[in-house]
Formats: sequence, C-alpha cells, structure tokens
Amino acid sequence: MKKKAEFKIPGGKLVKVTIDVEESKIADIMITGDFFMHPEEEIDNLESHLKGISTDENNVKQAINDFFRTKNVELIGAKPEDLLYVIMKAIKE
Amino acid sequence: MEEWRLIDLEIRDAAMNMAIDEAILTFNSQGKVPNTLRTYRWNPSAVSIGYFQSIYEEVDIEACKKRGIDFIRRITGGGAVFHDYEGEITYSIIVRKDHPKIPTNIIKSYQVICQGLLFALADLGLDAEFKPINDIIVAGKKISGNAQTRKKNICLQHGTVLVDLDPKAMFSVLKISDEKMRDKLIKQVGRNVTSIRGELGENIDFEIVKNAIVNGFSKALSFEPVKDKLTKEEFELAKRLKQEKYTSKNWIFKR
Repeated sequence: MKKKAEFKIPGGKLVKVTIDVEESKIADIMITGDFFMHPEEEIDNLESHLKGISTDENNVKQAINDFFRTKNVELIGAKPEDLLYVIMKAIKE
Repeated sequence: MEEWRLIDLEIRDAAMNMAIDEAILTFNSQGKVPNTLRTYRWNPSAVSIGYFQSIYEEVDIEACKKRGIDFIRRITGGGAVFHDYEGEITYSIIVRKDHPKIPTNIIKSYQVICQGLLFALADLGLDAEFKPINDIIVAGKKISGNAQTRKKNICLQHGTVLVDLDPKAMFSVLKISDEKMRDKLIKQVGRNVTSIRGELGENIDFEIVKNAIVNGFSKALSFEPVKDKLTKEEFELAKRLKQEKYTSKNWIFKR
C-alpha cells in the first residue's frame, strides 16, 4: 500500500515522500518537491539506494548518510535529515 | 567590456522554450557560442514544474488540456510556475561556470545573478529585495522566482518576472489539495504574489520591462549585450530536444 507524507521545511522547501512498504522493507520510494539537488539525476540513485532496506529509523538514517557522504551531491532547500524526517513520517503513516 | 549574446524577447511554446535553453547550454559548454542572456514569453500559456516535482501532484492536466495550456517539466529544480502569456517574462542566463562573476557556491550565485533583476525592478521604480533561496519580493510579495542547474561546466539560471497577475487562470491549472480552498486561495494570492503592473498601477509595456531586465543583468554581471540569433546548430538541436525530450511522456510524466 502506498503511503505519503510531506513537510514544508521552515526557511526551505517542500519535500513529499510516497513510499511502499512490504514486510518492513522499503519496496518503492519517490521523493518529490520544490527543492534543488545538484546534479539533478542523482535523485534516482538516492531512491534506488533506499529501495530494499529495512524501515528501521537508524537503518534509513545510515543509508541516507552513506549516500550523501559517498556522492558529490548538493541538496538546496532541504537537508539530508529533513529527507529522513519526511521518509519516517511516511513510513509511520 | 565583455560581450554576451542577447537573444531578444522571443515568443515560443513551452517545449521549444525549454529546448532552446538546453541547446544553448550544450553549445556554450563546447565553447561554440558565447555566454548568453535570453528573454522569452510562453505562447500558449504554460505551467512548468521543477525537475523533482510530480506532475500529477502539481498540475491539473485535464484543465490544461481543456484550456489549451501547455505543461512541461524543467531541467531545473524548484516549484510549479504558471507562465501566463499576458503576464510574464522569462529570462535565462547561460554562462560558463568558471566565469569570474559567478560564485562557485550555488546559493551565493542566486543572489549575484538576481541582482540583475533588482536593478531592473529599481529602474522601473520598484523597491525589490532578494529573498533567499531563490525569490525576489516587492513589499513582501513574490514578484520573481528563479531556478538554476549546473552541468557540463555551465551555470544555467532561468526565472520569471511577473508583469501582470491573473490568479483565477493560475489556480485553474495548478492542483489544489483541497477543492474547498480554491476561492480562498484565489483571493489570497494577492497577499503573497505581486506583479509589476500591480505595483506600479499602470499598464507598462512588455518591451519596457524586457529592456530593464537586459540592462539590469548587463549591469550586475558587467557585460555588453549584443543582439544575435541562435546558431543553426542550436536551433536544430532545440528542435530535436523538443521532439525527443520535452514533449515526451517519459520526461513530462517522469515523476
């Protein structure tokens, strides 16, 4: 079942997450909104990177941090922890 | 003074407008065309959405089709914009990333490039301010939104300048989460958004606004605008990008 959450980051942009959870794992995820990510195409890699991982908060946090640590990606209008917040909000829906 | 190419106010459809921006980016990155300032309008009127937005969440596709309004995805992030043919001028700046005037830091570069619009609005008699991250406001209300991408050693920034405001047309094509809010949103838009004509209280011409924009950017980025056309190669690539990318379902409905 698809679950959704969104959050307008104070002083930043709107982040929306649509997520599909199966057996406590992220089966599918889409992160949308009016934020900026450079290079833009990395959003697909971020989503792929999160697919298949357990929905446990520490685990999701680790996966997001790994992504931004290893890739040369700049997020504007949102921070990695904001993405985590909205993803967890969607998971808990 | 350094010369930049000026592609003067063009009127084109959404797909061609976005395709031309990308074609200029491609050829500038190869050193085949100079740094360029372009101004344009959208005919038919159109909604553009940011790279990361969901078309389904932002755009009322049926309403667009019924009203003959185009909808398109940009290569830049940011929000959904209604490009009203009768009320908006768009600009794009396609400059090499290592240009001495362009800060490496993206957030800083928004402010530097947007200074051109502040000069333009001042020239028209408006006291405008830059509002981070990427907006320009007059009397606390948004009058311009801007978006940037960086690829192939190029910084491309495009943005809007609201000349006139038609809230009803705007909300007829943008998705509203709660239908009951529609009338309220239409009434309230005047509190958050404004336009040059609205602020000046006079029916100022597009040509005057466009000239102010060109002068503003040349002052802010210290260049001399030299009117020219797209090269044949740019135009051919733009036509191909329009056909293969910007009008394709894969691109428009990607998210």
